[in-house]
Amino acid sequence: MSVGCWRSSSAFVIALSLLSRVLAASEPPVTPAEPTPEELLALEKALAADAGEDQALPIPTGGDSPGAAAFLPEMAFILDVAGAWHSDEPGWTGGHDPSTVGFNFQSLELAVGAAADPYLRFDANFAFALFGVEIEEAYGTSLGIPAGFQIRAGQFLSRFGRANASHPHAWQFSAQPLAIGKFFGSEGNRGLGVELSWLAPAPWFLELVSSMQMPDGDCCMRSYGGSANGEIESIGDFVYLLGVKQFWDASVDTGVGFGLSGQFGPNPSGRETRSEIYGLDLLVRHRPRGNAERTALTFALEALFRTRQVPDDVVQDVGGFASLVWDIDPEWSIGARYEAVTGPLGDSAALDPLDPEWTSLRQRATVQGTYWPSHFSRIRLEMASDLAGFREAPVWSVVLGLELLVGAHGAHSL
Amino acid sequence: MNTLRVIGWPSVGGRWSGATRRLVGVILALGLVFGARTAAAGVRVVATLPDLGAIAREVVGDAGTVTVLSFAAEDPHYVDPRPTLLVPLSRADLLIVNGMELEVGWLPPMLVNARNPAIQPGGPGYFDASTAVARLEVPKGPVARSEGDVHAQGNPHYAYEPRSGAAVAMTLAARLARLDPANAQGYVARATVLKSALLAFATSERARFDAIPAARRTVVSYHQSLTYLEHWLGLTRLATIEPLPGIPPSPKHVAAVLSLMKGSSAVVVQEEYRPRATSERLAQLTSCQLVIIPGGAREAERYLDRLRRTTDALHAAMVE
Repeated sequence: MSVGCWRSSSAFVIALSLLSRVLAASEPPVTPAEPTPEELLALEKALAADAGEDQALPIPTGGDSPGAAAFLPEMAFILDVAGAWHSDEPGWTGGHDPSTVGFNFQSLELAVGAAADPYLRFDANFAFALFGVEIEEAYGTSLGIPAGFQIRAGQFLSRFGRANASHPHAWQFSAQPLAIGKFFGSEGNRGLGVELSWLAPAPWFLELVSSMQMPDGDCCMRSYGGSANGEIESIGDFVYLLGVKQFWDASVDTGVGFGLSGQFGPNPSGRETRSEIYGLDLLVRHRPRGNAERTALTFALEALFRTRQVPDDVVQDVGGFASLVWDIDPEWSIGARYEAVTGPLGDSAALDPLDPEWTSLRQRATVQGTYWPSHFSRIRLEMASDLAGFREAPVWSVVLGLELLVGAHGAHSL
Repeated sequence: MNTLRVIGWPSVGGRWSGATRRLVGVILALGLVFGARTAAAGVRVVATLPDLGAIAREVVGDAGTVTVLSFAAEDPHYVDPRPTLLVPLSRADLLIVNGMELEVGWLPPMLVNARNPAIQPGGPGYFDASTAVARLEVPKGPVARSEGDVHAQGNPHYAYEPRSGAAVAMTLAARLARLDPANAQGYVARATVLKSALLAFATSERARFDAIPAARRTVVSYHQSLTYLEHWLGLTRLATIEPLPGIPPSPKHVAAVLSLMKGSSAVVVQEEYRPRATSERLAQLTSCQLVIIPGGAREAERYLDRLRRTTDALHAAMVE
């Protein structure tokens, strides 16, 4: 074992030790038992005697508890399949994108979650492909650390911006944003690691997020990659994220979210070469509270800037996407998304070592219409035009997708 | 070789920059200021739904504060999970939920993200009000979504009925008494007053509706949400406009409802937050009354007044 490896192992052991102390320090919540009907009756009788009250009508008593079934974790299967036509090889960057002409098996996701004990919650997302299973996420989340702190540990999607940490069933469009695929990888930005976040005691929603993850290779952290030989040799070989997330209620009907993210880590293109990605995200959601059709208009924007050291040069590029989705009523929604991702910026002579063919601006515009037969299924028709400066002609695509959810009712997040 | 500027990360930059130190200082100062500001006196109660909030306001009285996460004009199944809701949740001493999966579409991730151990399910500050009431329409066998968006633990709309409200008030008082023993007597006394008023109201309203001919005590509800109301007031449900719970009405089903309604004196009833076009058309075609009932107590409205608004509107339509 090398000295560097021993150091990182020691750091991990120390971190685990500190974590266990923090968890142990948080007192187990003392759960008062619900008052029994007898206790309530005695309480009422005493009060009635004081007040000279004679209550004739009984209060309904409590129902049965779900009992042993409550120990089962929440489980849901979500299936996404699509039929697609493309005028040429689309070259989309997402691992679950419907990139094939014909029928596409985008994903079969199994989401499992439950409280492990009073201190930790377990969550996992498994993605089944036709020929294998992938553990997209599997992590524990602390429930009992005081002062607004929270720790996640395991395999998880990093909370860079808004879109990265979401799964395909939460996407408004069938394809992963090009910028996420190019900067992070076909499966988004994820890896084994630990996250510490803090919900600040401010009058608005203010959260600070930091995480430390293993650079997980081409699928998941393609801009990073450990040291030159791809291994963790020092604490600097991990990928670190810092982020701030905020949300305000601009009015009863309108909410505004704004976040900044930065991620830092080594890349394997040379000796001690490093990568940094910075991101800005904005969400504006208008949903009139009194509208019986539950109509809502959501604007989302993310912009990313990446800078990477390569031998004798620095390669920089930017990318982003903006979308506008109108939920017309519970059954119908329409939306449009515009994306732009550049090739290497400035006068850099270096080719992008990851995408040498991506030499200039690429833009993709997508429009979609979605029909929801119920809250647990949707059918989405999309049309996209993908125009890249490094290709001769735009690629046109039409996608008709079907999504089905069975099992536990998934909750929505903003 | 061009240099790569790395900012903000101490292990790379070697030490914290002045800007980073200032940022950390500002954040810590903010924490101290707002932390001190939020350490208000009294028990901090958060209720997911307006009716639960109205009950809590009466039971808590001046011994604390009550924050409600949703609005009466908002479908409790589909509350927008804005991150700003995490602010009151993170500071709550007690969270009152309706339970029976009514908030399952928006509340569970917020509970985790609130980082408040007291209000986690099973915690001392987590109060599932449905544990206090007699549940109706609890499925006897396995449930499947082919039956619509059914709730496996029973119909969750018990807050439309005052006896359930009374049971929630008394159980809430007992829970508050344990959390805040210094004010226990006040909680129980106020809950008992509310309970007495609600039970008296339940009896008198039932008598008022019993005086209406049975044929006129018939309702067509949009959603299967009036079960407790029907049970309380002796109403008969002729049909629901949704073919199955949570499934939007189809032309074929609406035509069947129309056939059922013709020749009946049913009243079409729905909450203020549901789509109205189909109900209005049905009422128009059958010359039946359409009654829009509250989705819950309005801000600062008493729970009993909210129930009275509901029964007054129903009674007026049925005797007309």
